[in-house]
Amino acid sequence: MGILSLLLWTPAVGVLVLVFLSNQHTVLIRWISQILTGYTFVLSCVIVAHYNQHDANLQFTEYYPLNPVLGSAYALGVDGLSLPLLVLATLLSSIAVLASFSINSSIKGYHICLLLLEFGMLGVFLAQDWALFYIFWEVTLIPLFFLIDRWGGARRHAASLNFVLYTMGGSIFMLLSLLAISQYDLQQSGSLMTSMHQAAQGMPRMEQVLVLLGFIIGFGVKMPIFPLHGWLPLAHVEAPSPISILLSGILLKMGAYGLLRAVVMLPEATLLLQPMLTFLALFGMLYGGLLAWRQSDLKAMIAYSSVSHMGIVLLGIASLNEMGITGAVLQMTAHGLIAGALFLLVGLLYERTHTRNIQDYSSLVQVMPRFAVFMTLTLLAAMGLPGSIGFVAELHTLSGGFQQWGGLMVFFSLSILICASYALRTMGLLFTGPVKPQMQQIADLNNFELIAAAILVVAIVGFGLIPAPLIDLSATSITQLNDVIQKRM
Amino acid sequence: MNGVIAFIPLLPLTAAVLIAFGNFSGWLTGVETERFSVKLTMSSIGLVCLLALATLLNALHNHSLDTPPVWHWLELPDFKISLQLFNSPLPSALTCLFALLLFIVMQFSINYMHREPGFHRFFAILNLFAAAMLLLVLSSNMVGTFIGWELAGLSSYLLIGYFQQRPMAVTNATRVFLTNRIGDAGFIFGLGLSYSWLGSLEWQILQENIGHLTSAQRNALAFSFTIAACAKSAQWPFTHWLARAMEGPTPSSSIFYGGIMVHAGVYLLWLLQPLFEQAPLMMLIIAAIGLITAVYSFLVGLTQTDIKSSLVYATSAQVGLMFLECGLGFWQLALWHLAAHAVVRSYLLLTAPSLMHKVHGSPIKPVSPKLAQLQWAYVASLQRGWLEALIDWAIIKPVRGLAHDLNNFDEHILDRLIGAPLPAIRRISSLAQFREQKLGARLDNDADEFAQGSGLAGKLTQWCATLFQWFEARFVLRNHRKSPITIGRQLGHTAHKFERLILRPRNLVLFVFILLLSSF
Repeated sequence: MGILSLLLWTPAVGVLVLVFLSNQHTVLIRWISQILTGYTFVLSCVIVAHYNQHDANLQFTEYYPLNPVLGSAYALGVDGLSLPLLVLATLLSSIAVLASFSINSSIKGYHICLLLLEFGMLGVFLAQDWALFYIFWEVTLIPLFFLIDRWGGARRHAASLNFVLYTMGGSIFMLLSLLAISQYDLQQSGSLMTSMHQAAQGMPRMEQVLVLLGFIIGFGVKMPIFPLHGWLPLAHVEAPSPISILLSGILLKMGAYGLLRAVVMLPEATLLLQPMLTFLALFGMLYGGLLAWRQSDLKAMIAYSSVSHMGIVLLGIASLNEMGITGAVLQMTAHGLIAGALFLLVGLLYERTHTRNIQDYSSLVQVMPRFAVFMTLTLLAAMGLPGSIGFVAELHTLSGGFQQWGGLMVFFSLSILICASYALRTMGLLFTGPVKPQMQQIADLNNFELIAAAILVVAIVGFGLIPAPLIDLSATSITQLNDVIQKRM
Repeated sequence: MNGVIAFIPLLPLTAAVLIAFGNFSGWLTGVETERFSVKLTMSSIGLVCLLALATLLNALHNHSLDTPPVWHWLELPDFKISLQLFNSPLPSALTCLFALLLFIVMQFSINYMHREPGFHRFFAILNLFAAAMLLLVLSSNMVGTFIGWELAGLSSYLLIGYFQQRPMAVTNATRVFLTNRIGDAGFIFGLGLSYSWLGSLEWQILQENIGHLTSAQRNALAFSFTIAACAKSAQWPFTHWLARAMEGPTPSSSIFYGGIMVHAGVYLLWLLQPLFEQAPLMMLIIAAIGLITAVYSFLVGLTQTDIKSSLVYATSAQVGLMFLECGLGFWQLALWHLAAHAVVRSYLLLTAPSLMHKVHGSPIKPVSPKLAQLQWAYVASLQRGWLEALIDWAIIKPVRGLAHDLNNFDEHILDRLIGAPLPAIRRISSLAQFREQKLGARLDNDADEFAQGSGLAGKLTQWCATLFQWFEARFVLRNHRKSPITIGRQLGHTAHKFERLILRPRNLVLFVFILLLSSF
């Protein structure tokens, strides 16, 4: 059993342990959950330490055939694309558990679902077989449905149902696409991902486009791409804060990650659909940004800003050049950290005041200086200020996009401008202004919360100042992907 | 010997910087430290005098001089500006004269300025002026001359406004500075023309390559520099600034407007002598300007009642004569005139405050009766030829009007377009309102203020956001209100109805009939 299996099954073991515990042992349950997620984070760090950056192939691979007839296998592996997301997933999971101390009802069920969700997410990033990938993709849905439906806000039922229906609807298209590829002769060597990769090359052009459209719908729902984002505002707003962190920090990245894999598989079709993807990306960025600007609900604002920021990822993927793809991969990490930090901080604020309306807040810097520092840094990173990881990612995407489309990138800048306007306004409304008596009795972050927020913010600023390690981690894999794409175009 | 020449402008500059820094940082203030400033100034200017003398002797005895070192100020692949100093007799002679005059005036200032509040400031500026003028005279390069030219203008501005507490001094300083700037514009234009036509900024090269230019080009070049010379030397129509410049302390008036700076224009003309000689039209023009200035200054000078003003008009008349001499081609005479006038006028201005004591009892010689009869001339003279009023009307008034219009455009159109906040005074009409707003009781509704843009871009954003919000609510989020469950339930109901309809006995019989009919 390799280290990847160990990493993958740790949360699942945790689920089994928790199942046999009584609901009364709240402290024990929390600690088990905390320790296991922390352990997965440590494991992922070990993987990073042993990862060879100069090798573009899959590393730490594990392979056990499951269904020889279909060709599916239990194939795990990491490369430069999935490794940053893997670390992000384990990091945000352990932070989500840390932030879950405020959950008071049916703690056992909550933590079981949380660990199950982590299991699913890790599986998605580790799977190197489309069948396995699809299974884990669906596995994430079930715990998330319960997490939102059971522990969410006022409109939680509608939110959870919408989320599941949207995602399931998308997965149907994804499944269709996968089946369409598997109709062709699959070589029986290697996992389903590599063999499908080869099969996709032999498909007629039209069919490739249709298959890619299926993937775009399937992954686009999760990502989300502009017209398919209907589930997102409600789900983000209604989910409990720790789940919002995971939702926007990692689950959105699953869509982008899958789309990137699909694009590498079907570059010719991507080239045909490039104008559409570009339009969707740029329009989505403006659309999400403007709607975020209009929201007075803090969580809704961050949710719509996620639409805007994931548009950057789509733009990077659609640019189909090395710079753009690097930008997309960086933006996934960047947005994971930034959106995670924002939801964490807003969640902590909500616990104290029970209002998400930004206009109710005022002059918080006097009572919550620690919170103000972290929130300000994160918002500045969200608008892509140099010195933050957001800037590095946006700069890469921007220059990749500029190579491809030139002056069209003015819309990119426009969306950054809109982002800056609502980020600055949020800072202004939260921290400055007249002193309101009801906002004077709020406690600042306690030590646990401080650690959770500090880890994220330090990562945001640290990778912003020294982005080279992060870029180098994916550089070789991205170069190889780019070669594959350029060769077939 | 060649490198040493660079110390002539550098020494006073160093003194100026040291005194200014000391004064700024606070350890060089008050009466006690006056001695330090004085020592520094006098030793530097004394050294400069010696150096200038040595340079002059060297230049007189040794005509084939090596060129002094070049300092490259700006170097681009196809654009190079370097600074270099002259090493020829005439600039050296002038340097010598100016350095001596500066030495004398500085010596005079020590007692004259004693216990003045701005003693150190005065000496810092005077040193700066010394450096500027010496650089101006010595530089063999237009850029160097221009730097000196500008620094001299700046120090003149600072010293006219020396008495900062007098509003008149500040107004006059600004006026003088701006008038000088007109000349600077001509100088810069000349620099540009020279670089683009001759590819060089060396006076030497300009003098040698005049022949390559067309006559129009020569006239244009000469005209730009003539403007500069006229403005600096207070020639018509710029004469009026000289009277305003008398606001400064007497030693500075003496050295600036009697001795040195006012002659910079004549020196500039001399530098361009070959150019003017090949541009006869411009020779005519400078002769005419010189003549007009001389007559004008003579007439205006007749009615001046205070000693400084009459000296000023005498100065501009003399400088006008120098221009006339240049215009007529008597360059040598003009230079001798310059040197002599510099010495005499410095002396006259230095002694001006005590002159009244000396002439006490001996009345001023009256104007000749013929001239005294001309009443219109008297009025014109009193009004100084309406020159200032004319310039106010021709230049200042239109510029002010334009500025006013632009400001209006800015306030009423641009500020609204970009959504700049209005001045608080216009937005809030009373103190009570201001306090209310400060306390948080917003006068306008909070809900309306959120998601409101200001300015064109802001409004555009607002409208787009509203449109997108409508779209989102109408098409993307609609099923949140009407959740999929209800849709499913409705579908189920419809299917159920349909099935019940089909399964009614009469419909069933009908279907059987249809089937039977179709099978046969």
